[in-house]
Amino acid sequence: MTRKAEGFTILLASALAAFGVTLVNFANSGTLDAQSALTFLVFAIAFGALFVATQTWAPRASSLLIAPVAALTAIGFLEIYRLDPARAGLQRWWLLIAAAVAGSVLYLLHLGSTEILRRYRYTILLVSVILLLLPNLPSDWGFPLRGLEVNGSRLWVVFDAGLTPFSLQFQPAELAKLGLVIFVAAYLADHQHALRQAHRQVGPFRLPEPRQLLPLLITWGLSVFILISQRDLGASLLLFASFVLLLYAATGGGGYLVSGGLMTLLAGFAGYYAFDHVQRRVAGWLQPFENFEDAGYQISQGLFALGSGSLSGAGPGLGRPDLIPNAATDFIFAAVGEELGFAGTVAVLALYGLIMAVGLGIAFRSRDTFRKLLAAGLTFVLGVQTFLIIGGVLRLVPLTGITLPFMSYGGSALVGNLVLVAILLRISHEEAK
Amino acid sequence: MNGPIRRLALGLFASMAALLIAVTWFQVFRADALKNDPRNARPALSERGKERGLIVTNDGTVLARSDEDPNDALTFVRTYPEGPAFAHVVGYSSFLLGNTGLEQTYSQDLRSRRDITISDLVAVILGRDLRPSSIEVTIDAELQKAAFAALAGRRGAVVALDPNTGAVLASVSSPSFDPEALIGDDADAAWNALLEAEGSPLSDRATRELYAPGSTFKTVVAAAGIDTGFVGPESVFPDPVAFPLPGSEATISNYGGRVCADGETVTLLRAFVVSCNTTFANLAIQLGAADLGITAEALGFNRELEFAWQIPPAQFNIGELEDDPAALGQSGIGERDVRAAPLHMAMIAATIANGGQLYSPYLVSRVFDADGNTVETTEPVPLGRAMAPTTASIMTQMMERVVTEGTGTSASVAGVRVAGKTGTAQGSGEFPHPWFIGFAPVENPTIALAVFLEGGPDLGETATGGGLAAPIASTLIDIWLSGEQ
Repeated sequence: MTRKAEGFTILLASALAAFGVTLVNFANSGTLDAQSALTFLVFAIAFGALFVATQTWAPRASSLLIAPVAALTAIGFLEIYRLDPARAGLQRWWLLIAAAVAGSVLYLLHLGSTEILRRYRYTILLVSVILLLLPNLPSDWGFPLRGLEVNGSRLWVVFDAGLTPFSLQFQPAELAKLGLVIFVAAYLADHQHALRQAHRQVGPFRLPEPRQLLPLLITWGLSVFILISQRDLGASLLLFASFVLLLYAATGGGGYLVSGGLMTLLAGFAGYYAFDHVQRRVAGWLQPFENFEDAGYQISQGLFALGSGSLSGAGPGLGRPDLIPNAATDFIFAAVGEELGFAGTVAVLALYGLIMAVGLGIAFRSRDTFRKLLAAGLTFVLGVQTFLIIGGVLRLVPLTGITLPFMSYGGSALVGNLVLVAILLRISHEEAK
Repeated sequence: MNGPIRRLALGLFASMAALLIAVTWFQVFRADALKNDPRNARPALSERGKERGLIVTNDGTVLARSDEDPNDALTFVRTYPEGPAFAHVVGYSSFLLGNTGLEQTYSQDLRSRRDITISDLVAVILGRDLRPSSIEVTIDAELQKAAFAALAGRRGAVVALDPNTGAVLASVSSPSFDPEALIGDDADAAWNALLEAEGSPLSDRATRELYAPGSTFKTVVAAAGIDTGFVGPESVFPDPVAFPLPGSEATISNYGGRVCADGETVTLLRAFVVSCNTTFANLAIQLGAADLGITAEALGFNRELEFAWQIPPAQFNIGELEDDPAALGQSGIGERDVRAAPLHMAMIAATIANGGQLYSPYLVSRVFDADGNTVETTEPVPLGRAMAPTTASIMTQMMERVVTEGTGTSASVAGVRVAGKTGTAQGSGEFPHPWFIGFAPVENPTIALAVFLEGGPDLGETATGGGLAAPIASTLIDIWLSGEQ
């Protein structure tokens, strides 16, 4: 895609968001207001700024990333607006903030290249682990930084120093996942030879040396800790899966995939027998309609939404996605399915497919091991997260309550995912011939 | 390193393909099933505020209509001008609770096809009528209101039929409720209050609840005996104070512990007129479960009958009774496990009235479009001959004697020949249920009906069909016949 075409596509995505808002308003009240214009402006400014920042500080970057991301954000935004206009107003601010942060990351990487990420890998690891553990802070102590439990999961951190009339809330896992991928990519780039050669032949299997399994065990431990203390099935699974996939990518050792899979199952079974909320999740997943009154209610409503949307959808503002609990976050895909139909969900899947193809393409073409692993890892995080949450809505896997990248309501997720895109853009710039 | 990444890429795209397959499954192949799942509130919600057709009686009384909302153009509010007396038949159309009654059965006709989407435009171009159709019911508004008034808030039901077609002239269940309370935003609260309310006003005692028919079931036993040629009105039976049930310590005695005639012998006619329990227990056992069962099933027992909504089949358990003569004796007087809805007992009266033909009961006579043109007319559906015309004629004579000189004298109407049978069913409860089934005028019946009162402390332990149900029948027959002229 030429730069001109990319810029034009970004404007088109902004127009898509604005048009969606117009249709929703028209369906609800039959009137037009400033919301459409405002939405167009915010999208054009946010993604336009990211586009210009890329042009300036990473001019040889792939031209195929920003546009599909903008399109997904636009589709998600129109459903958020349809479900809760007040939240949509907040989400617009978050979009501007996220674009500014992503632009700043591009500038920082322009100053120091992706090598600085590698150089400060231990600092990044430390910050990420602290971020991950922040929600474990007590929710009732005097310090202005507190953990917060929402819907039985402890994913949130509240900052309330009394300086602002409202408290700031964020989900640190959305940023920590980036830091952990950066660290793991750097660690594996350092140790890949050792890891690759250290194996034992047991019958037909090449098994890794027990010593080399240590990082695997540590990450698994961290994931299990999050699972237990924060009750966050999604983040825990996402972290561990991304790590195992990267380990395999770096070494080609199938034993990592096998042992990683076994460890996931082990943690899953243990969690099932130990925790009510895991049992409820599983019951809701396997038999949503039989558990309609409780554990299966959300999934059932999501499926009703998808079925009612059918091929062409009810139309923006004309369906009832508000009947699905947490429609704007976990179930935004079902909301899209109801109002934009099969056409909309296929388009969404195609856009994710395109982003993943671009991300993996960047990884393939990278000559530098660190950058190759980083690009692959970031793409895996995005792909696994997308699969986990959409698969949860579609009953392929148990529902894990994580956000759908770019589309779900939520500021921290948007910031984290646009930074992820910024790093991918930078790698593609550095690796372009 | 590109090798493993390539394999992982394949895995990632396989996962995306799985998502694509799953979403195709739910949005294409399972879409209709999911959309129409009764727990999916969306179809009912989408009906909210839309115009629905009229539900009217043939004299033009409006039972349900949609008025434009004065506060909100383009939206409509459903009103039920005749209120509780018609609530179980008409039902309601509630965006929170769904549709019930005729509002549910005829929802496809009554609903507007207007959608505020592009499909409206297409339909207009194709010349399709998007306006809702209306339905005309067979209910007679005056009779229905009179029946509801006669029940006077007591728990019970009245069903009246046209004996020559099966058209329902009245179907009342009491106590009732105001359907308009269940269609607004506070429908859930109103519904919960009704669930808790005294007398369970939401249940439709006329068509959806089964009760022991008591002595009204003697019509079935007598018809079976006469139809098989086993007995006639003058057949003679012993007249004991108590009839010992074979194979059991229990006995069956008569009302008030009396004999039915002279204490020696009693004729079938006399036994029927005074509702003699010993005779009918005896007759049922002599007939046997199989022969009795043939007539009972010909009269619709144990059969899934078509109606505007699903109705539970009346029960007469032939298989169990074949090996249990004691139970058969008790069944002969409409007790034990015999169960029927008031609608069903009215059908039995109607069958005897018309000479032995069982008709399928129906509530809607026609469907008409927004311009008043008839779209669909209901034709009476005969379900088969239940007894020979001569049997029906003998039964009619016997039932007329019940009203002229027997237990049902308070069902009589001045200047009209009324036939009937009383019942005082013990059922499984502590208090007896008064019943009356009958028809009039005898020479050319135009109404058959069943009156049922549910026993309870309010009616007392001494309530009887002749005392409480028969006078209601008298009132309603009088109103019907004077309205006809």
